[in-house]
Amino acid sequence: MDLTVDQAFAPPEEGWVSVSPKLTTARRLVLVLVMIPLLVVAAVVLGLAGLGWIAVLVVLGGLVLLVYLWWLIARRVRSFGYVERENDLLVTSGILFRRLAIVPYGRMQLVDLVAGPIDRSMGLATVQLHTAAATTDAKIPGLQPEVAAGLRDRLAKRGEGRSAGL
Amino acid sequence: MTEPTNPNVAAELGDTSQPQHTHPLTPWVRAVQLAPVALVAIFLFGQGVFSDLGVSPILITIGILLVIVLVVAVLQYLAWDRLTYWIDAEGDFRIDSGVVTRQQRRLQLSRLQSVDVTQPLLARVFGMAALTIEVAGAGDSRANLAYLPLANAQALRNEVIARSAGIKADAGEAPEQPLVVVPPKDLVISLLLRGTTVVLLSLTVLIVVVTAMTARTAGLLVILTGGVPLLIVFGEFTTYFNFTVARSADGLRLRSGLFQIKSQTIPPGRVQAVEFVQSWLWRRKDWVRVRLNVAGQPSSEDGDGSSETVLLPVAPYDVALDIVKHVLPGVDVRSVELSPAPKRARRRAWIQSRQLGVGHDDLVFVTERGRFVSHLSVVPHARTQSVRVTQGPWERALGLATMHVDSPPGPVLISALYRDATQAREIAEAQTRRAVAAALADPTTHWMRPDNPAGPATDEPPTH
Repeated sequence: MDLTVDQAFAPPEEGWVSVSPKLTTARRLVLVLVMIPLLVVAAVVLGLAGLGWIAVLVVLGGLVLLVYLWWLIARRVRSFGYVERENDLLVTSGILFRRLAIVPYGRMQLVDLVAGPIDRSMGLATVQLHTAAATTDAKIPGLQPEVAAGLRDRLAKRGEGRSAGL
Repeated sequence: MTEPTNPNVAAELGDTSQPQHTHPLTPWVRAVQLAPVALVAIFLFGQGVFSDLGVSPILITIGILLVIVLVVAVLQYLAWDRLTYWIDAEGDFRIDSGVVTRQQRRLQLSRLQSVDVTQPLLARVFGMAALTIEVAGAGDSRANLAYLPLANAQALRNEVIARSAGIKADAGEAPEQPLVVVPPKDLVISLLLRGTTVVLLSLTVLIVVVTAMTARTAGLLVILTGGVPLLIVFGEFTTYFNFTVARSADGLRLRSGLFQIKSQTIPPGRVQAVEFVQSWLWRRKDWVRVRLNVAGQPSSEDGDGSSETVLLPVAPYDVALDIVKHVLPGVDVRSVELSPAPKRARRRAWIQSRQLGVGHDDLVFVTERGRFVSHLSVVPHARTQSVRVTQGPWERALGLATMHVDSPPGPVLISALYRDATQAREIAEAQTRRAVAAALADPTTHWMRPDNPAGPATDEPPTH
């Protein structure tokens, strides 16, 4: 990859902390649970409508997409990273569209810890930071529950110490 | 109704430490406000039905209308009866309301963002006004008091502002000093001289000419291309008519409106970001519009775009810069040096690449963008919520990246578009450091208190 590109999203001195690789499994599970029924329904409907060859094309196309997304999910999960620095939190993610958010602790208004059913069954949780700005985009998925809880508590504590109104 | 013996006297005195009702005529005003809508509805649904009854349709319409107004008035009376407001011992603003679902709302006035006094046409006829108090917070964080006698609404506004400023309530109204009035002529010309208006109106003329020559009718298209911009121009004209900016100790007062008069008070330090917008047709006159981000969710119930805070609908650039100095004290936007985007940004944004700029001084961060409509956005370091760097595939191919400063919801976006990728990261890191440093030194919480420069004394000292 290009050198200048890496520098824009380069890890700080501390280096990125990456998220649990189990997130890949969780997201692949969601992908399969959504795509396979969709493909089956599409194939059956098209087949009944007498468009057998279109059904075959749709299923083939769907399978190609499935394999591509299967591969992409692993890369996307690896792209997540965060660092707790002295005064702020850094969060990065994305492959095609890359993002880096820097949130000063004093600006945090609340910290959410969320875990959906699939996340819970895999032992994962998401930590999300909110500031007064709706565009603040600091979401860290795929954390082990105890890591997530620890992170949330540390963030909340630092936020309190540095809180600066609006 | 349980009216006080003399509502005017009660309203004038208005001891806000005790629960108060809004103006006793409120239910009637609210009911009558619905009448035009009800009238249209009756016409639409009743047309076929009335003629079969053998009674004059006008009589039936009036009858139904009266019933609707009465029913609404009774319901509104129940709501009015339940709604009380007062300022409690801790200095918070309290509202109890609700007939079926009771609601007790408590607004922390130290987190006040802005206070509006609005007079819709009908309320204006009766000398009444609505008061909207907005505090910082996610979602619905406002109190709406409708309607109060105008003098009462103004008195309450002054009290609320005084309390949030940390001084005693009976300081009276801070004297105000008018800064600028936008002449109606400038307003009309500026609204007509906008890119979209000009394009759509020229299109209308073109269609009219073409259809006249080919002897066809193009009614609907003309209504769309000609009517919509005229409607927008008319709407903005009535909203911003006689726009006045005045300065007082409790903040900047904005007042405007032809039919509905809106008067807004923005306490100092509450402005989160400022933007100078200049349409290409305004450049010759050196006109500019100034918009603000003020914390507090813009409510969807406003619906008419009034949630967008306009500091000046149109003014010469120099005047606008002077006015902005009142909301961002000590900031000289013109003196901030902007560094242009690298040459190769042209391959990402060939129209506006030369208009892209970013810079900062001790107090503010400034970005510039836009070729046909130029946007100069200003955000104080102390109001920087968070910072982002983003990069799409095309930007990556060119070694570019965009840096954003996040501000509470509002019209102002702060984006340093298409910088050199390495530089974008450096700007982001530097801006974060400035934001952290400025937030620690920010003194605007209790801005009218004599001991203010020392910082908010009631808050816990920061634990370094």
